[in-house]
Amino acid sequence: MTSARRAAVRLSRVTRLFDGLAAVSGVSLEVAQGERVLLRGWNGSGKTTLLRLIATAISPTFGGGTVLGFDLQTERNEIRARSDLLGHETRLYGDLTAVENLRFACSLYELDPALAESALERVGLQEVAAVRASKFSQGMRQRLALARCLMRAPALVLLDEPYAALDVDARIVVDELLITAHAVGQTVVVASHEAPRARLIDREVTMDAGRIATPTSIVPS
Amino acid sequence: MSLRVVRAIAAKDLRTEMRSRSAVSTVLPFAVTMLLAFGFALGPDRLLLAQIAPGLLWLAALFASVELCHRSYQNEAANGALEGLLLSPVDKGAVFVGKAAAAFAQLMVLLVVTTGIVIVLFGLPIGAAPGLLMLTAALGIAGLSTVGSLLGLLAVRSRTRQAALPVLILPLVSPVIIAATSATADLTHRNTAGVGGWLSLLMAFDAAYLAVGYLVFGHLLED
Repeated sequence: MTSARRAAVRLSRVTRLFDGLAAVSGVSLEVAQGERVLLRGWNGSGKTTLLRLIATAISPTFGGGTVLGFDLQTERNEIRARSDLLGHETRLYGDLTAVENLRFACSLYELDPALAESALERVGLQEVAAVRASKFSQGMRQRLALARCLMRAPALVLLDEPYAALDVDARIVVDELLITAHAVGQTVVVASHEAPRARLIDREVTMDAGRIATPTSIVPS
Repeated sequence: MSLRVVRAIAAKDLRTEMRSRSAVSTVLPFAVTMLLAFGFALGPDRLLLAQIAPGLLWLAALFASVELCHRSYQNEAANGALEGLLLSPVDKGAVFVGKAAAAFAQLMVLLVVTTGIVIVLFGLPIGAAPGLLMLTAALGIAGLSTVGSLLGLLAVRSRTRQAALPVLILPLVSPVIIAATSATADLTHRNTAGVGGWLSLLMAFDAAYLAVGYLVFGHLLED
């Protein structure tokens, strides 16, 4: 299946050590462009580390690969310009308002600042656009981080436990992101204990102790 | 270097400071307390106080810069915003310059306030060349801002380095503190003969620190 399309992610025997311990060990993974892959596994299985490696937040200790056709080690800025990692931490500034946080992201990514308002509407935060992020609940912060991701519309979206701390309405926003991603050809890798609805995912990969534990399975659509 | 990124980072840092008022609520009281403590410890000898006032002023600026830069990066570390900067496809050197520019603006305000206190408490005379005094202040603060903005990053990368921050900063800013103190002392005591040399030294160190910071900041930010 994946060989027929150009790979968005191609990792070859990637290992990442922290203080001598392998968080990810010898992982080879290929994700096709436009594919939506779910990474499953217990806590400590290496899902988050693998996402951070793909996002170039950390470097592999051994191994390498390409993301969106760019080398993981030497073309990091090209990967960063085209991908977004939505992780446990929201990467928001508490003393800036919701709209100021998004406008700051616009200035870093050279986006039209007017996109900030429409992104807030998409996640249902338009009423609190002028409220500081520090006043938000964890769920609202997650939504705001999601708005930043929607605003950028990157070619590769990496979601780490996207349903954590979200209420039902915000979960729908994540589901919508997965549906939209499929429609516009974005590639999505989701790390989660909790599986999204099956039709929103094309393939599951299970991780255990830093390795790919099972052969990947195709989820029927 | 992208001026757009420099502006965005500086504006964000200044807006954050305006809202949190961390400099006003912690850094300024710290500097004022330090000056008062020295004032009481040294006694009522006005001549002695006026002589050591330039040194105390720059010592207060130095400690304020360490604290301010540390706080600036604590804001970045909260909620993983620092990683957001890392993962943005921008020139990381421009991020450094933006943070140094914001620190410069805040420290200049702090220096103006503490200078007022030093004039009142220690009888520091303004001297005959207020323009040169302002230039000395700007160059000295530029040196403190650039070093603080570079090494402040280390303070949030690991616990050990946080403890080592003052140890790293103090030797690096010593030339800045010596030159700024000497220039301030000369100018306030109407001795402008050697000021040019001190100002040249300050400019050289500022340029060197800015260039080094611009070049290595990205490497320090990366994993």
